[in-house]
Amino acid sequence: MPMSSSGIVIALLILAPALLVGAAFLASSSRAVIRLCAWGTAAVAAVAAYALWMVFTTGPLFAAGTWLMLDALSAYHLGVMMLVFLLSGFYSVSYFRREIEENIFPRKMARRYGGLWFGSLTAMITVLVSNNLGVMWVGIEATTLLTAFLICIHVTPGSLEAMWKYLLMCSVGVAVAFTGTLLIAASTAAGSQLTHALLWTHLLQGAAGLNPFLIKAGFIFLVIGYGTKVGLAPMHSWLPDAHSQAPAPVSAIFSGFLLNTALYCILRCLPLVEAATGNTGWGREILVVFGLLSILVAAIFIVAQHDIKRLLAYHSVEHLGIIAVGVGIGGIGVWAALFHVFNHSVCKALSFFCAGTLGQVCGTHDMRRMTGILRSSPVWGGGLIGSLLALIGTAPFALFMSEFLILKAALDGKAYATAVLFLTGLAIVFVGALRHVIPVAWGPETSPRVYGRASATETALVCVPLVALLVLGLWLPAILIDVLNRAAGLLGGGL
Amino acid sequence: MTGLLDAILVMLILTSFLLLGSSRLGACIRIGALQGIMVGLIPVAASGADITARILAIGAAIIGLKGFVFPRLLTWALRDSDTSSELKPFVGYTASLLAGIASLVASFWLASKLDLAAGASSQLVVPVAFSMMMTGLFLIVARRLAVNQVIGYLVIENGIYVFGLAVARDVPVLVELGVLMDVFVAVFVMGIAIYRINREFDHIDSDQLTTLRG
Repeated sequence: MPMSSSGIVIALLILAPALLVGAAFLASSSRAVIRLCAWGTAAVAAVAAYALWMVFTTGPLFAAGTWLMLDALSAYHLGVMMLVFLLSGFYSVSYFRREIEENIFPRKMARRYGGLWFGSLTAMITVLVSNNLGVMWVGIEATTLLTAFLICIHVTPGSLEAMWKYLLMCSVGVAVAFTGTLLIAASTAAGSQLTHALLWTHLLQGAAGLNPFLIKAGFIFLVIGYGTKVGLAPMHSWLPDAHSQAPAPVSAIFSGFLLNTALYCILRCLPLVEAATGNTGWGREILVVFGLLSILVAAIFIVAQHDIKRLLAYHSVEHLGIIAVGVGIGGIGVWAALFHVFNHSVCKALSFFCAGTLGQVCGTHDMRRMTGILRSSPVWGGGLIGSLLALIGTAPFALFMSEFLILKAALDGKAYATAVLFLTGLAIVFVGALRHVIPVAWGPETSPRVYGRASATETALVCVPLVALLVLGLWLPAILIDVLNRAAGLLGGGL
Repeated sequence: MTGLLDAILVMLILTSFLLLGSSRLGACIRIGALQGIMVGLIPVAASGADITARILAIGAAIIGLKGFVFPRLLTWALRDSDTSSELKPFVGYTASLLAGIASLVASFWLASKLDLAAGASSQLVVPVAFSMMMTGLFLIVARRLAVNQVIGYLVIENGIYVFGLAVARDVPVLVELGVLMDVFVAVFVMGIAIYRINREFDHIDSDQLTTLRG
């Protein structure tokens, strides 16, 4: 593959959404902005699909010297991210239609929304395609700043509070991650070209010669710093607030991929740490500890939660913990964890869509006041219940499969303590969440309001992801297995 | 020119202590600005005779942003507010100063344990950087007012910048500019947030932001 064509694709990936930011501010009405969000995202997704195809047929793409890179791991994440953005883009047409009809979404607000939407897309793509740890950091900090105002697109005391917590906690967390990045740069041998000290490919080449002490210190800073943004316990306290206060399409992006973007940065550095510490599994153990802690902490909060969006937010803490545990266990666990990234992102986006629409209709997010939704709204209610059942790990959804494989990897690796804690957490979540789900699904109908009939697009938006999760739980296409294998290979794992 | 560098580092410590002991918001913003200017002078002082246009440009950008733009922004954010000083911080001013001293001692101990300062031109760089990071974090946790928390964030940023000079002096200029731009946008966004919180709640007391729980 000639250098130039890969350069053009990567440049287009970053520039296209950046140009759409400008387009959003020129749109003539709220409706036009939202439609632009959907179709503009689709256009970017098409470019991303082409890039993915190039990566998986010809190998990693490089651009801008070697500053930008798209390899199997980042390409896989890019694919999942574009899927989440695409779903959310089309869902926002349905979500904001109600708000536009009620005249609470004026053009100025819509333009700001559209601009921030594509701005955060640009920032997240920048994180994924950067080969330079410094550029990666800049991208992550940019996502924090751009998404902050998406939380309080409707200014209320609650949304301002959520935004302030998010802004401050994540800015400080990400600042800590920068210290980690500096320490990793400092771990290269004295006298080597410091200009290259932040390039991931360069670091990986000489990983065995990195100063193990400095890189260990750097990794701890990175896990704590980026971990704040991932929502790993105990740094997760901003997360339920932000997820519950943001408009539903934004919550879907937050939960579906913003958290994964930060986790991706930690995963990127894992092979460096492993190679520098002589593959003793030092870095992996840290991930397991934080992952298990997140699962258990989330489990406790899920039991006592009554707000549906906060419940889903704690599920994010739990599932990101599961992914961290999977990668930490290694081997087949890495493969399963990456599979779980896809499953969780799709499932969580779907559940936020349904929760958002039901919240609009019921006027509340309190599960005690939105019971019996299966009868009053078969499509959205069915989607919510289905996705919640998938989220808590009901067989035979794909989430069950990936969780099962992680457990199997733990048992194969004789990590019995990990397996027991993992299972305990999942069991608490299962029982705790089921207690909320049953009345919501089958309880007496509390709101006698008439639900608008779901349109064909809305029905498709709910059914397609749910059916996909069900099918993937039973049968995996060979191409997905191969893609996951190659991505997992970069993290020292695989089937 | 280790003498000049050391003098600046000592000034950084003193400004951190002043921040820990000041209650008036205007004074805090001005002290923060002074600290920003000092940080901007560090790369110039550290390079001594072999100064380049790049170092001068970065230094000028830092001084311009942290010394002049940020204070303006924060003052702007406060323009409609009647709050002029922090009356009841979570941790009192005397206790804050004691915590500052403790963090300084801890930083010197930590820096002596870690052998990081190989590339640094002064032995003080690493402990000062640690102490600033801790002070910034302390300000965020111990103060109620949103503006003071932003200043705490800036102190952390300053500390990290000093730390970066010690451990990796040749951060690529593009990354350095990117970082600076992010900090700028961060303070800008926080400024707008403070302004809105102020309008919505009639106060800028982030301690009152406690309706979302559990």
